[in-house]
Amino acid sequence: MKVLKLSLIVAAVAFLSYGTSYAFHSGGVAECVGCHNMHEPAGEYLLIGTDQSSTCLSCHENAADTGPSSYHISTAEASLGAGLAPKQRTPGGDFGWLKKSYTMTIRGTTSTEAGETHGHNIVAADKNYVEDATNTTAPGGSYPANKLACISCHDMHGKYRRLNGGAIATTGAPIIGSGSYATSLDPAAGEAVGVYRLLGGIGYTNSLIAAAGVSFAVNPPAAVAPSSYNRTESSTYTRVAYGKGMSRWCATCHPDMHTDSGGLKHSVDENLGSTIANNYNTYVKSGDATGSSASSYSSLVPFETNSTDYTALKAIVTSTPNAGPASSNQVMCLSCHRAHASGFMEMTRWNNEGEFMTYTSLWPGTDTTPSVPQFARGRLGAETLAAYNDIPASKFASYQRVYCNKCHVQD
Amino acid sequence: MKNKRLFLTSIIGFFLAILYLMAFSTPVMAVDVKESYLYNLSNFNGIIPYDWTRIVIDTERDEVYVLYQNLVRVFNENGMEIYSFGEDGDLGNLVDISIDKEGNILLLSYKETQPEIIRCNFRGERVGRVEIKNLPVEFSKFSPNRMAYLKGNLYLASQNYMRVIITDNDGNFKNGYDIISILGLNEKDRNDTQMDGFSLDKDGNMLFTIPVLFTACRLSPDGKILSFGKHGSLPGEFSIVSGIASDRNGNYLVADKLRCVVMVFDNNFNFIAEFGHRGSKAGNLIIPNDLALDSKDRVYVAQGQRRGVSVYKLSYN
Repeated sequence: MKVLKLSLIVAAVAFLSYGTSYAFHSGGVAECVGCHNMHEPAGEYLLIGTDQSSTCLSCHENAADTGPSSYHISTAEASLGAGLAPKQRTPGGDFGWLKKSYTMTIRGTTSTEAGETHGHNIVAADKNYVEDATNTTAPGGSYPANKLACISCHDMHGKYRRLNGGAIATTGAPIIGSGSYATSLDPAAGEAVGVYRLLGGIGYTNSLIAAAGVSFAVNPPAAVAPSSYNRTESSTYTRVAYGKGMSRWCATCHPDMHTDSGGLKHSVDENLGSTIANNYNTYVKSGDATGSSASSYSSLVPFETNSTDYTALKAIVTSTPNAGPASSNQVMCLSCHRAHASGFMEMTRWNNEGEFMTYTSLWPGTDTTPSVPQFARGRLGAETLAAYNDIPASKFASYQRVYCNKCHVQD
Repeated sequence: MKNKRLFLTSIIGFFLAILYLMAFSTPVMAVDVKESYLYNLSNFNGIIPYDWTRIVIDTERDEVYVLYQNLVRVFNENGMEIYSFGEDGDLGNLVDISIDKEGNILLLSYKETQPEIIRCNFRGERVGRVEIKNLPVEFSKFSPNRMAYLKGNLYLASQNYMRVIITDNDGNFKNGYDIISILGLNEKDRNDTQMDGFSLDKDGNMLFTIPVLFTACRLSPDGKILSFGKHGSLPGEFSIVSGIASDRNGNYLVADKLRCVVMVFDNNFNFIAEFGHRGSKAGNLIIPNDLALDSKDRVYVAQGQRRGVSVYKLSYN
């Protein structure tokens, strides 16, 4: 009995001493041995995975998940059978959609919607993620598909930090924790917090980026996420407050996609203006323009506030998560696309491959709306629901037109 | 003279005693465990390229159940597939499997967000359901993703929310455990902590790992918890631990996804041996997660990179 008591005490002390070890990144560089193995490495750089992304997914994928779970951003293949949708619901989307290919017969022609069209095709050999076979370089850029990894965007060592005063740097003060959340601490003088999602900033490079010949000329965007960001949106939207700089940052690899490159492209980094902002705020659903700015937000069409004021960004997440845009707010790449992957082609937030998002008040599916395969596109209704992060079809019109109309209201 | 004889007698007696002890006493030394790779689970098309799958063993019949992409495959004790069911989706989104005392198959299934425990016959045909009854309010939103059955008790674990309940064979609540509270962790850290690898030992102790804390735990039915493990990359140390199971001798086997090994610890949590190691050879492992043992000391290890389920035989000296 004494031994048992002693063991319990030892266990309790051991647990208490673990402290916050589960906050693995803490806004900066994590424990070295979390990713590197000194004596039995699996890949280059003493990595514990075959490659960089495999190493990341060692923690960020969990085969036992039954639904959205914490920091997981990929669904294991064991849970991705026919008719089974990926399980994570982060704003960036579940990489598992890359493994979901759909076959459909529309007007007598059978075609396949390849999984690789659904997102950023990271290469992670241990998790069976392979390079994009169609887009051999980044659309609108030259970044090679075979060099695409988590660390193409995220700084694996988390050196970029937001100093007291807002400047982004790679040194100058110690990182006290993550800066990505509404609950994150604000850095005091002599302190810093990690940049949003450990993204790379000016001068960020690594072996893959160097081989790709890409230069990071901008710092990470300003943004704040709620601490519970991986959650079903069956009842409320998950509001990420995007501040400034997302599109120019994306343009690092997709330069020709940005308005600055010229040509007739959908604008980004431009103010919505009063007309578009008013459209957004009054739009409820197809045929219903009775909305108001206090409750018009939709996570299917997020926008930037055009500000790096973190106090204001945090207040949006915590106090006014349902508020729509002002005319000075801006459209960005993520207004239409998810960052990781989505359930739809071109990693868009809604299905653009037909005129209707919903049909007869249902999410299209081979089971729910078999008469309109052009909207189901080989999915079950449950898979379509999952692709919309579980937002119920009842939030939309019975025949909801595609969500370009949230800003452009042609329906 | 008498003293000399007494001295010689004592010396001889001493050495006889030593010889006796050497011959008949049980030496105090750790048990030596060795593994040998046998085969991978297969069907007539060859090795099934599972990637991180769930393995459950009916130790009464030494049949192996593997759940992958909503399809349950049953293997005989030679590792050959003999039956499968579940692919039509009628049973819902299958999450876990157990076998009850009558040999019925219990399936933990979800339809949208609602869990259901389905009781099936040996063909995988629904014959009933286990309704969880009398859940205390603190477990009212309990959403399990792991299930185990032992001696008339059904154990259900929510790995994400760090809770476990025990019911009787008919689903009547018997006991519940909030692992966060038991470990004295903060409520705010519940979502980021998470258990992995839930299983039972022969005494009904619950075994699980907590990868982010680099530890493995044994929770007894009376709520007492003991833990072991040390963070590191040397033999016997934890990087990212996942599956855990016990063998018939009371040893604990723990899989480590990053070190790509299965470690063996004795009942007092002393490290004994490890096997697998990352590599492309048949006996190597790539990111092992789930593991299970049958009654004949065979260890079934699920792994990544579509390398399937590897089977090893343990031998004890």
